[in-house]
Amino acid sequence: MTTERIVRARIDQSGTLVSADTPLLRLQQRAGGGLDRPLALPQLARLVALAQRLGREVTRPLYAADDHSDIHAIVRILPDDDGANLEISDWRTRPIVDPQRSLAAGAISDPRGWTWECDQQLRLVALRSGSDAPPVPAGWEGRSLSEVFELQPDDDGNFPVLRALARQAHFEGQRVRIATPDARVGMALSGDPVFDGTRRFTGFRGSVAPFEASDEAVVAPATDPAFGSLPLSDPQFGRRIDGALRGPLSRIIATAETISGQFDGPIRADYARYAGDIAHAGRHLLGLVDDLADLQNIERPGFKAARDEIDLGDLARRAVGLLAMKAEEKNIRIDAPRKDDLMPATGEFRRVLQILLNLIGNAIRYSPDHSQIWIRLDRESDRATVTVADQGQGMSAEDQTVVFNKFERLGRTDGGGSGLGLYIARRLALAMDGDLAVDSAPGQGARFTLSLPARDG
Amino acid sequence: MIEPFPSSGIDLPSPTLSARLRELGDYLAAPSVGRLTEEQRALALGIARRLIADIAAQLDVGIDAAALWSDWLRGGVPSAQRIAVACFARAEEHRWRGQIAQLGRETPTADDAGAEIAEDAAEAISSDVDRTALALRIADRRRFDGQGNPCIALVDLDADVRRALLLDVAAWQLARSSADVDGAALLGEAVRSAIEAAPNDHGIDHAAAAYRAALGPDIGRASAIAIARHDWPSLIALAAVETQRSYGAMAIALLTAEIASLPALLAPLGLDRRTIAPLEVSLAMLPARAVSGANAGDEPAARLAAFSSFDGLPGDGA
Repeated sequence: MTTERIVRARIDQSGTLVSADTPLLRLQQRAGGGLDRPLALPQLARLVALAQRLGREVTRPLYAADDHSDIHAIVRILPDDDGANLEISDWRTRPIVDPQRSLAAGAISDPRGWTWECDQQLRLVALRSGSDAPPVPAGWEGRSLSEVFELQPDDDGNFPVLRALARQAHFEGQRVRIATPDARVGMALSGDPVFDGTRRFTGFRGSVAPFEASDEAVVAPATDPAFGSLPLSDPQFGRRIDGALRGPLSRIIATAETISGQFDGPIRADYARYAGDIAHAGRHLLGLVDDLADLQNIERPGFKAARDEIDLGDLARRAVGLLAMKAEEKNIRIDAPRKDDLMPATGEFRRVLQILLNLIGNAIRYSPDHSQIWIRLDRESDRATVTVADQGQGMSAEDQTVVFNKFERLGRTDGGGSGLGLYIARRLALAMDGDLAVDSAPGQGARFTLSLPARDG
Repeated sequence: MIEPFPSSGIDLPSPTLSARLRELGDYLAAPSVGRLTEEQRALALGIARRLIADIAAQLDVGIDAAALWSDWLRGGVPSAQRIAVACFARAEEHRWRGQIAQLGRETPTADDAGAEIAEDAAEAISSDVDRTALALRIADRRRFDGQGNPCIALVDLDADVRRALLLDVAAWQLARSSADVDGAALLGEAVRSAIEAAPNDHGIDHAAAAYRAALGPDIGRASAIAIARHDWPSLIALAAVETQRSYGAMAIALLTAEIASLPALLAPLGLDRRTIAPLEVSLAMLPARAVSGANAGDEPAARLAAFSSFDGLPGDGA
């Protein structure tokens, strides 16, 4: 879900949140903070501190996560003498995919299955059949789960439902047999614990899905609970790995940044450095997860990008704004299009920004200190183009033929990237009826040109 | 002279315009009164749709419930006024009960005293109380569909409303298959048997009465535990029996009550103010609640009052 409006907030000199629009305030509350309390979002607090220290505007991507969702946004921090104003745009929330829950939810929608609910003593209080499922047995009301379903042990001799009862936790793969008017059928039971207002366990709620011979592998004890036995080529695998890794990684990064930033008090300098290394490695892994998720998405048959009316000049300036601090760290000057430079085109706003961030990010990464990067807009017939040129070491003709290949890093072994960025960027450009090309020579830098269908502004 | 707008007596050109003008008229008549939120509208509409589908399924003559609902969405639900209060009551109850899941730990729970009450409840209880409490929970779960969406169980539906809906659905089906004489006869028979079929004794009002009877003098304590645990269905059920209302009527009475009037409303349960506090806070936190009071004399309030009258328990012949 995306919100187009700007989310605003105000921080005072001591880092206390004195006012905030609802989305940010809710996030702050879920992080354990509130109004008139210190900012409880470590990454944001760190950016505010950075902007205040530098005494200048800072614009950066913001990644946050809570129990419900991942939040991606772009935050602009405007420091002043009394604190800082925050303007957060492009606020995107994405529900966290809990791999275990997604399995249960999928089964509930199975028309061949049933849904059920029991109380804390495993007495059935609800049992319903899907449209194509066998009818539920008569007289189930209030009967024990083990009376209605003949519970079967798993390969280790355990009963998942009973283990879950002891832990008051989610379970799945509880094999059961049940007598229907026609035959005895095998089914698999899954459920989530239910709690009341005082967090008292009040039973389970879940689904019963048909259990077929091929399901054996799913409930085999060697199967990973997050990924099941899905092959790498299955789109479900990509979604699950994305959901399973993103949340933990975001929390690792946030915690490491908290330690590194010494928000809870001073610690030894080498410990703070280690925490900084952990946060850096975490961000790298998160970037890899993003790349893999993108890869899975764009390689899906029929993938198509949206056709928004965009201005390449505006997008280039936004991308430069997001990467300005990174460039400044290496004293790299970026010659961006002026504010009145327009280049109307057609393409998906978010995807074009992603491509430009990749191109400019690469240019910064592989350019020497104190060098310059140029961004030029042009129009050739019905094509609108934006070119990112750097003063890096450049590429041979041979390298240029493979630079857009998957996992191609041109022999580099540093931790700078996954080798997927340019591959994804070109695939995205092609999906928008555009293209991405490179022109380079060793020792003469590189020029990457993104072309898209032009639009008459 | 040309009239700027059609005078009365001339049919309005479209149902959409007519509906919007009615809505605007209502709005202009009382601009400061809170209207339905999108959430309330969507929940109530979903409940109405599931109710119509259940009625169609009860007739068991292969009625295309999706087509029926699609037609009624375009032309209007014939018994709209009759089912509006029940759908609204169920939707508001669902919103209230969903609040605890949405707000999680932010939701106020029992204070220390309330927590003690909830802890003490772990003591052994009589088998009658246990059995009837379980039956109440089963009756409550019938008020959800297989996906956990709120619905109105047919056994809880007022007999007159049920009859009207059966006739409306049959009329729609008859119009759809007017050339089929055998089909019409079959439909007529299905309607007769559905109307004559006495509601069974599994409804929530019956379960509430049985639970209350099993509790005997412990009703106050059971109500206090229900409040401490945010077990609103049990509280509504007990309060309904004690105030001689139906479950649905009690739900809407609570959900539209002024906070200050809650002690009086729940007086028959013998609860002190401190015990009621979590209920007060929970209701106060429910957004867009339609608090009654100022317009008690208007037409919707009169309909609510009629809905609130105790009409006996299904199957009891009351």
